[in-house]
Amino acid sequence: MMSAWRTTAVVVCFLAWVLAVASGCSLVGQPDVAAWDQKARQAVTDAASEVATARLAVETARDDRTWSSYTTVVVAQAEEAMGTVQDDVSRLQVPPGRAQDADDLEALLDAASSAVQDARQHAVAGEHDDRDLLDRLDRVGERLTRAETRW
Amino acid sequence: MKRYFAVLLGVLTAIGGFVDIGDLVTNAQVGARFGLSLAWVVVVGVIGICVFAEMSGRIAAVSGRATFDLVRERLGPRMGFLNLVGSMLVTLLTFIAEIGGIALALQLVSSVNHVLLVPFVAALVWIVLWRAKFSAIENVLGLLGLTLIGFAVALWQLGPDWGELAAGLSPAEKPGAESWAAYAYFAVALFGAAMTPYEVFFFSSGGVEERWTPKDLGVMRANVLIGFPLGGLLSISIAACATVVLMPEGIAVETLGQVGLPVAVALGKVGLAVVVLGFFAATFGAACETGLSTGYSLAQYFGFQWGKYVRTREAAGFHVILLVVTVLAAGVLLTGVDPIMVTEMSVIFSAVALPLTYFPILVVANDPDYLGEHRNGRFANLLGMVYLVIIVVAALAAVPLIIATSMGQG
Amino acid sequence: MRDSYDAALHLLDRQVLDCDERLVCKVDDVELTVAADGSLVPTGLLAGLPALLPRFGPRLGAVMARTHASVHDVVAGGDAPDVVEMDLVDEIASAVHLTVPGAGLLRPREEVDAAAPERVRLGQLLGMPVTAPPEVGLHRSSRLLDVRITRVADGRGSVVDALVVGPGRPGALLGYDRRSESGPWLLADAVRWLHRHARVVEVGPEVEVDRDRGEVRVGPGASVSPLLG
Repeated sequence: MMSAWRTTAVVVCFLAWVLAVASGCSLVGQPDVAAWDQKARQAVTDAASEVATARLAVETARDDRTWSSYTTVVVAQAEEAMGTVQDDVSRLQVPPGRAQDADDLEALLDAASSAVQDARQHAVAGEHDDRDLLDRLDRVGERLTRAETRW
Repeated sequence: MKRYFAVLLGVLTAIGGFVDIGDLVTNAQVGARFGLSLAWVVVVGVIGICVFAEMSGRIAAVSGRATFDLVRERLGPRMGFLNLVGSMLVTLLTFIAEIGGIALALQLVSSVNHVLLVPFVAALVWIVLWRAKFSAIENVLGLLGLTLIGFAVALWQLGPDWGELAAGLSPAEKPGAESWAAYAYFAVALFGAAMTPYEVFFFSSGGVEERWTPKDLGVMRANVLIGFPLGGLLSISIAACATVVLMPEGIAVETLGQVGLPVAVALGKVGLAVVVLGFFAATFGAACETGLSTGYSLAQYFGFQWGKYVRTREAAGFHVILLVVTVLAAGVLLTGVDPIMVTEMSVIFSAVALPLTYFPILVVANDPDYLGEHRNGRFANLLGMVYLVIIVVAALAAVPLIIATSMGQG
Repeated sequence: MRDSYDAALHLLDRQVLDCDERLVCKVDDVELTVAADGSLVPTGLLAGLPALLPRFGPRLGAVMARTHASVHDVVAGGDAPDVVEMDLVDEIASAVHLTVPGAGLLRPREEVDAAAPERVRLGQLLGMPVTAPPEVGLHRSSRLLDVRITRVADGRGSVVDALVVGPGRPGALLGYDRRSESGPWLLADAVRWLHRHARVVEVGPEVEVDRDRGEVRVGPGASVSPLLG
């Protein structure tokens, strides 16, 4: 019967679509060098974004341009996102020949994470006028920017 | 005098009501990543929503029929039902995102975790949907939403190099590090955010709620043709603020707090407070609109009494739906899902659902049975057909782009 | 009320409003009663899930209707749709207007009389295959797409006086196949082209709607005209 055939075709197309969407979302990366490099680059970019966010939030707070709960929320969310970036990287399977790079990346992200954490502690305590903190965020930000071109 | 006031009020609420959590987040994200090279999509989207909102408003004013009536009459019960399910899912997703957005805005003021605020916010939304008058919801929240003009003021205060900013309007100015697939993904997302289907469900049903007649066509057109483009300008100024302040710092927007940072830089505490009030009003208004829209579309498909123009008891089924969707949305948010992620999903799936809504509107806008002498002229039909093609292309491209870019990351 | 309308295009799925403009229901289906002379007379608007669900198609609709009935069979007559008498209809426009208030109007029909006339639903007729000898000029895979209802002066009120038949293709409910004036032209032309084989067959002795076998038989002498124009 014509319509049965048509219904089957529609259902098959729909299932194929669902499958395609599902596989697109859950694809597990192979441990090859190119994929690792791409993920590393992404992690560094994301980390740089979080550090810059924390820096901008602290800077505006120092200039008395935000109120304390706003700063706290923005920096705390940056810290949380930083944690996600670290988690994602730590779960990557390191391909052969990238062991040193993986260590470097981890160290860099640790530095960034602790700087953001520091910023959050300052924000909660209401200490926005801290030149050292801004310098630290600046330095980590520059290291991240340089690292973006490495992989 | 009263008439001018009505026009002015309508225009102002249309501006304030145009921006919702999807516009806020997507425009800031795009501004921070792509500069103004995608601003043209907002323009295309705004013209599109004007074309179809005007048609659906005209149908509502002349025949008293709202959008989902048309969907079922023109597509039949079966296709209409599929359409209902699709539109309801997208509108519900948007509703969840808006309620999450209210909680995020309150979080910025109180620093209480947004998940803890959700039950309180949901209860507040439901009480407003249940008790408040329709015009009060629309006018109060629309006018408060106007405070988002803070973004335009901030942009002016930031004093960017206007020539450079204007040069960035060309699509050729896409930052080199970004792929064309990601560019296309965000183009579709921005288009979806500007043309969200719930806007016409709400606009046309609102016309029925307010008992529009053919005499109101002029006011309705003024609201649409002045209000929505100015709302679009607000969207672009949000993107421009992100371009000027966030893009040079390499900040990718993932939170509502980041969206407000450029205003803090430009205007300080007071400006930021005004804009955060705007976040609250815009998301609250849109939460009411999307919540009502779910009730409108279900009731219009099945034919039972809906609307806030009758007593609550007369439209009991409608109000039960409002309660159920509010509880459902609160439940989803209480799982701790990130409202910004829900927003990103809602705008891209809006793009998928666009043809379902806009096609029947275009057909009925030509039907003399409904509109008599007020049916579409050549110009409206030309625009309608052009947009139908754009909408279908965007809808077809959305799912492959979601897969190819992992929701815009690549 | 207009003198003639196409039931699927102009009546089915429209909103029903009572005399105070309150929303009553949708026209989920139309009840046609077989008159003494065999003609089909619209006697009621059917509303509710028992009327709506069978229209979801022969298989899906049947499954959904059965499920609904089995859930509701504790209620006596739970699977009978509500009926709004056709006499109560004031006007059929972009909505169906009634002459009475809607409160308490929606009730299933109570057939106490064993000799009640035979009633069919429009939804059961639509989609029936149409068979005709080649000289009539119908497309070979024609189906019943719509019925044309016209006002008559006798006691029946209005009656099905023509059938719209053609190969069932998308867009029959858009209305472009019945009118020539409106459009966006590209869309309208596409729909008209898809429906170029659609014909109007006048009800007469040569046309038989066989409800038992589920088909419409058109004899060689039937009056057939193009749908448009």
